Amino acid sequence: MPDLLPFLISGLGVGAVYALSGVGLVVLYRSSGVLNFAFGALGAVAAYVAWSALEHEWPLPLAALAAVATSVAISLAYGRLLAPRLAERETTVRSIGTLGLALVVLGFTEWFWGEQPRRLVLPTDAGAIEFADVRLTYTRVLGLAAALLMMAAVGLLLARTRIGLAMRALADQRGLSAILGIRVLQVDTAAWVISGAFAGVCGLLLANIVRLQATVLTFLVIPAFAAAIIGRLSSLPVTVAAGLAIGMLEAVAVLVPGFSPFRTATPFLIALLAIVLWRDASRKA
Amino acid sequence: MIEIRGLTVAFGAVTVIDALDAVLDAPVCGLIGPNGAGKTTLVNLLSGFVQARSGEVDVGGTPLLGMNTARRVRFGLRRSFQTEQVVEDLSVWDNVQSMLDHVPHPHDQADAQVHRALEHAGLLDCAAVPGAELDLFRRRMVEVAKALVGVPRLILFDEPGAGLDERESRVLRDAIAAIPDAFDAQVLLIDHDVDLIAAICTQTLVLDFGRRLALGATRAVLDDPAVRQAYLGN
Amino acid sequence: MGHPMTPDSIQRERRAARLALLRMVLVVLAIGALVPWLANAYWIKTLTSSLALAVAAAGVALLYGQLGLVSLCQYSLLGVGGWVALRVGHGLHWPFEACVLAGGLSAGVVGMLAGLPALRLKGLYLALVTLMLAGGFQVVISATGFPDGGDGFLGRISGSERLMLPRPAIAQGEGAYFAYVAAWLAAILALLEVHRRTRAGRSWALIRRGEAVAEGAGVNVLLYQTWAFGLAGVCAGVAGALLAGAVGQLDGRAFAASESVMLFALSLIGGAYHWVGALVAGLLLRAVPSLLVDLGVNGYLAMVFFGAALLHALITAPRGLVGQWLAALQRLRAKGRP
Repeated sequence: MPDLLPFLISGLGVGAVYALSGVGLVVLYRSSGVLNFAFGALGAVAAYVAWSALEHEWPLPLAALAAVATSVAISLAYGRLLAPRLAERETTVRSIGTLGLALVVLGFTEWFWGEQPRRLVLPTDAGAIEFADVRLTYTRVLGLAAALLMMAAVGLLLARTRIGLAMRALADQRGLSAILGIRVLQVDTAAWVISGAFAGVCGLLLANIVRLQATVLTFLVIPAFAAAIIGRLSSLPVTVAAGLAIGMLEAVAVLVPGFSPFRTATPFLIALLAIVLWRDASRKA
Repeated sequence: MIEIRGLTVAFGAVTVIDALDAVLDAPVCGLIGPNGAGKTTLVNLLSGFVQARSGEVDVGGTPLLGMNTARRVRFGLRRSFQTEQVVEDLSVWDNVQSMLDHVPHPHDQADAQVHRALEHAGLLDCAAVPGAELDLFRRRMVEVAKALVGVPRLILFDEPGAGLDERESRVLRDAIAAIPDAFDAQVLLIDHDVDLIAAICTQTLVLDFGRRLALGATRAVLDDPAVRQAYLGN
Repeated sequence: MGHPMTPDSIQRERRAARLALLRMVLVVLAIGALVPWLANAYWIKTLTSSLALAVAAAGVALLYGQLGLVSLCQYSLLGVGGWVALRVGHGLHWPFEACVLAGGLSAGVVGMLAGLPALRLKGLYLALVTLMLAGGFQVVISATGFPDGGDGFLGRISGSERLMLPRPAIAQGEGAYFAYVAAWLAAILALLEVHRRTRAGRSWALIRRGEAVAEGAGVNVLLYQTWAFGLAGVCAGVAGALLAGAVGQLDGRAFAASESVMLFALSLIGGAYHWVGALVAGLLLRAVPSLLVDLGVNGYLAMVFFGAALLHALITAPRGLVGQWLAALQRLRAKGRP
């Protein structure tokens, strides 16, 4: 029985990003009813902005800030300018709109920066700690910490603040909430900002862990959708747990004989299994 | 003939229909009652969209509650909805034909049946018009025509004339009143328009809070002081 | 031919529908016959791919236009069809038509199985599930590749012995194969159109109006949705087989999930409610990028444009480019009338 621990630890790194992405997706969906297919693309453009900033010798915190600011700006622009034009349509159409956004952002990123694969090397990669035979760069540790912090912050926001309450109300009854005086626009803005920020951070982390290539990063977020599905697009704790589990299972799958070339299909298999086993599914709206 | 015995319909803790007993055997029956009395729920139950907690319903001697919605449609049950449900992209003809698609019928009779239904509803001149271009009156008449194909046995109309003016209501009323003779089907009609009910329903059931308040000849029911108090506000 | 008393308007409408169907088939066949005379070899190949992809786009359009269902795995089903066609072509040496049918039917079955669990959920979940499938297929096909003459289940052979899928005897040359693909496109479009105008199309229209309405008419909603899914799968599978025949082989690295997303986006942009929309989608997928490369424009700018066009199509013109053109045509005709 091979030692699973190193794989679990290394899978935790990617799993944390999946969890973080899942939370970013679910928070937005619960507040605005839009599932953001452009989440990965936003992360990709943020990662490239960070890369350019670092190339110009900006300090890491500033580069990261620029990166996240970019993804927040694009997310907010879409949420305030384009999403309202689709507000009257059904859920599916509103989410498909974000596919358009994804294509625009992805196309622009590939065109502007070119498609040669790069690595997002961060200054924090230089140092590392050893934990259970696994070498975790400072980036990974910081990333894990940031992920946990952000998820906790969102949890607190939703549970303890007025705007969090409003976000939860909006999820259940958008029209009714507006009549009751909840500032729909304000809540919407908050949701798109949070989602954009999460996308930016996830993009940075994934670009560091995997590689900096726009198309890859855009679709690497699909496992996050798997986590969101398992969380039934509503439960944050389940989404987080699912994201972590998917990351770890994907890493451990290397050990299954003959399965290795198909390892990266693990998140999809899990998601499909979850859907099939999901008997009392939420009926069509 | 509809025979209802001990029917109870409840959603969670809320009982919407409470141990209802009724026998409706007139060709055109009315169903009235204040809002929330359970009228639409009864129609939903009869058409299979809602389950009963207890009780039995027989239509023409056949137990109804064991059949699923599709089976009831094939059996001859038809219903309209409070909001008209005309399909915008289909022509009037196709809207009516779509009802016939899922009921067993002789293949060479399809056009004849649709023709007859449209003729009864006075829609032959606009048979090829797409649903999107129809005004409210024509849409309401399409709902009537849809109920007439495929050998209907029991037709449930839920406020079929809502939104129509006096002339239009009269045309609708005459079309519905003529159904039992022309198509050999029983009609159950929910409406708030008491004049409509009085004009064409020979028998009326009054519901209040899910219970039977009155059942009998329409004139007698409408004159019943208890009914006037609960519903007509006199 | 209908009750003798069927109103004239209905008889006219039916006649018009039959004529429209005939016209569609003739136009596509005419394209198949004429283009090889007008285009050079490179463009014939590009347009052959466009026509094959139009077949797939027609399936996507059917699902979305008739039922509002979003499938983001249709390009993967195209891969499934291509895989089966190659496997039986190389392994069993079936005639080409049989390979295409086998590819189409397999993809249809896989499409139905894939769609079934998700069809009971909200429409958004269907989009997600199909995206998952596309992601999964991407991983699998990159690892296994496509059959090219070897033994075993995967049918892979090494090095220079890779085989090309032989084309049918009547369609060996590029021009002839173009016409052949056009014939398949005409057949598939006709099949879908017949569906739209008969019981299936009316049932789908009822479902689109509302599930309660459809059930109230006795429609088995799940059956008709699954059937549409199967049809869309057949379209994708046939397209895959035709592409395999066009190039001779398929590359396992060319079936990323993004291809299915692009196929969906462009089917909507072209127009999901009219058969010409599928043709436009096929052109946008292959011919336009080729054109841009010819003009020295970066292909990724095309992607930006397509993303914007998708948003535009969703916000302002749900019927797509073809829908807008048809509306403009109708306005012109209306002006011409007294």
